[in-house]
Amino acid sequence: MRKTVSASPHITNPKNSTRRIMIDVLIALLPCVIAATVFYGYHVIINIVTCLIFCFGTELLYGLIINKAFSREGVKKSSVFDFSFAVTAVILALNVPATMTVWGLNVYNSSGTIAFGFDTVVLCALGSIFAIALVKMLFGGIGKNFANPACTGRIFLFIAFGGAGAFNFCASLFDSGVFGSGATWLGTRNTVTGAMLLDMFFGNTATAAVGETCAIAILVGYIYLSVRRVIDARIPLIAVASTALFVFLFDVIPSNVSGGTVSGAAMFYETSAHVLSGGLLFGSVFMLTDYSTSPNTFVGNVIFAVGVGLITALIRSFGNFPEGFSFALLIMNLTVPLLDKYIVPKPFGYVKPVKEKKRKKAAGEKGGERE
Amino acid sequence: MQVKTFKKGIRVPHNKRTEDSPLVECCAPNTVYISVSQHIGKPATPAVAVGDSVKAGTLIAAADGAVSSNIFSSVSGSVVAVEKRKTPTGSAVHIVIENDGKYEEQKLPPLKSRDKESVLKRISEAGIVGMGGAGFPTHVKYAPKAPVDTFIINAAECEPYITCDHRLLVEHAFEVLSGAAILAGVLGLDGFIIGVEDNKPDAIRALESAKAEHGIKCEISVLKSKYPQGAEKQMIFATTGRKVPVGGLPSDVGVVVGNVHTAYSVYDAVENNTPLYRRALTVCGGGIHEAKNLWVRTGTRYSDLDAFCGGATDDCVKIISGGPMMGFAIEGEDYSVTKTTGAILYLSRAEANVLQPKPCINCAKCAKACPMNLMPMYIDAYALRGDFASAKKYGAMNCIECGCCAYSCPAKRPIVQSVRLAKRKIKEAKL
Repeated sequence: MRKTVSASPHITNPKNSTRRIMIDVLIALLPCVIAATVFYGYHVIINIVTCLIFCFGTELLYGLIINKAFSREGVKKSSVFDFSFAVTAVILALNVPATMTVWGLNVYNSSGTIAFGFDTVVLCALGSIFAIALVKMLFGGIGKNFANPACTGRIFLFIAFGGAGAFNFCASLFDSGVFGSGATWLGTRNTVTGAMLLDMFFGNTATAAVGETCAIAILVGYIYLSVRRVIDARIPLIAVASTALFVFLFDVIPSNVSGGTVSGAAMFYETSAHVLSGGLLFGSVFMLTDYSTSPNTFVGNVIFAVGVGLITALIRSFGNFPEGFSFALLIMNLTVPLLDKYIVPKPFGYVKPVKEKKRKKAAGEKGGERE
Repeated sequence: MQVKTFKKGIRVPHNKRTEDSPLVECCAPNTVYISVSQHIGKPATPAVAVGDSVKAGTLIAAADGAVSSNIFSSVSGSVVAVEKRKTPTGSAVHIVIENDGKYEEQKLPPLKSRDKESVLKRISEAGIVGMGGAGFPTHVKYAPKAPVDTFIINAAECEPYITCDHRLLVEHAFEVLSGAAILAGVLGLDGFIIGVEDNKPDAIRALESAKAEHGIKCEISVLKSKYPQGAEKQMIFATTGRKVPVGGLPSDVGVVVGNVHTAYSVYDAVENNTPLYRRALTVCGGGIHEAKNLWVRTGTRYSDLDAFCGGATDDCVKIISGGPMMGFAIEGEDYSVTKTTGAILYLSRAEANVLQPKPCINCAKCAKACPMNLMPMYIDAYALRGDFASAKKYGAMNCIECGCCAYSCPAKRPIVQSVRLAKRKIKEAKL
């Protein structure tokens, strides 16, 4: 029997595959899914299932149409089985409120709360189709997209339907009332108390994106991804730290100094509140580290993360929106090709070429001596 | 003990199942097929004709020019054919000798003097080449034009499965060290460094006792077990801290790196007057019944080794001449052992990579693994797009083809293959 012939290496890391990486990310997202369901109810699950179905369907159909392969074979060869659609779907579902109302096509229960939000399902489906078809597949599928699909899908929904009230905050089921009624701290910017920080840490706050609520759940996911070496553990830390620093400089110091009395504790509380609220933690761990939309070098990643931190802080301090992480990420996604073009590591044993001027100068000096 | 190493690289499962199996003599088959091109450079010119009777150690093909090497018969018997046969990398003239089973030996004349020139001449006439795989004629390598101040023996053996150098160190530590000392003498040096990975503690012990017992001047450098620790540039960096400049050779930093088996063969040629016609070799992998370390005469066919090791299993999907990271896959067993064949691996379906490549996901795991600090994903992408100038910009020519990138690629992309394509096209187009 003739044996298989191929180029070396002949062995590969069996524990390492695209699908395995995607499954790892899904596992890391699980704590966030649980936390979101606990605080905002079963709507979260409906959203996730909707997004999964539509992301799967969009990617499968897109592949079948492009390859003109409407057969069992075509389905088998489809790119959906690397499960990257599922990561997009879950992150997108965790990036929207539990229920969204645009047209009011909801089923209400006796107490007047939404039992089944038809609007929400439609919006989740729209976001999924937008994210997969427009952002990911049009650019060539996995690894080729320049913007994070989930992040862009969320921004699309936010901008297109936000005015109609789709991105109103959904309140936690266990609202303790420390934040005022149904608003996030980033929206109100009340004086931060210890009780508020504690609620933020556990996730018991109102939010416009259910996944980002619980810091503990995100932390568990972060540790899992770092241990599994799916992400570089330093990058989310740099993003969070730089956001904290810039927010401190642009927002915390001015607001505290103009108030007359300067309190170190108040400033610390406020910076912590900035870190714990909004999409910063969730995005830094799950969206900033997206392979295809982040630079390929460590130095590039550091610049990318600091850039995201800076723009987030600018939007939070001076912007029109209370929160700006997803915008910051989308803007910095645009710089990735540039960062990758200009930041190329020097190969092992690199010798700096002698500059033309210096060489001429050296040659000239030698010539002078001879004369 | 301080363990030295280089930057980046990968951890691969060692799979050194044969590390405790001693070297055993593989019975030579009835017919041997000896290639006249077992080295880099011009093939040797056949010096025998059909019908000639030869002994083990008879010169059967003479070196053609400076960069070439003598070829010796590995058995006694008669020449039955001089014919062109295929090799894993192409084809070459093979001298086919029927074994009479007597194993009569023919030695080289004893060395009269031990000065540099005589030893170098002996290395040349004994047909010694770099036995790590490259097969560069040793007498050329050890007459460097640039001044050399360090000589390193590469005993890292970082490729998985292969253990023949390891067994040589354990069983013949003195011979290897003496051979290395002879080579150091040829280079005009007083001592040398021997770099061993720390996954061979018994080899390190054997080396240390041989060094102490015979008072050989050398430094035993213990290295971290990491792939590719045995790559020349990485070995030099780990043991001396010197970086071979991009596109340069070890001699640019005053270093010569030699192979364990080469040192052993030099000892054999100088002390025992035996030319090079047999070598140690590992037969291993999940696709062979009995994995073994063997002393094999050159020209023994793979199918004979296979039979000696209990035969291949039904599960065997790939046969590899060399290591799993850098060896050549071959389609059958109709090839013969040369001076540079360090291992023959029979990989089972579970071990071998027979997966189809998927699209790159830009995870940069290849860049994190690359010991040369390159960006393999760009070289791959540009090479496949046909933009070889850009592939060169991202360092295609600096690639040592160690395979770390392809090993760690989650999409299972054959990156090394693309790099080889790029290298070839760049050379052709003189970009």
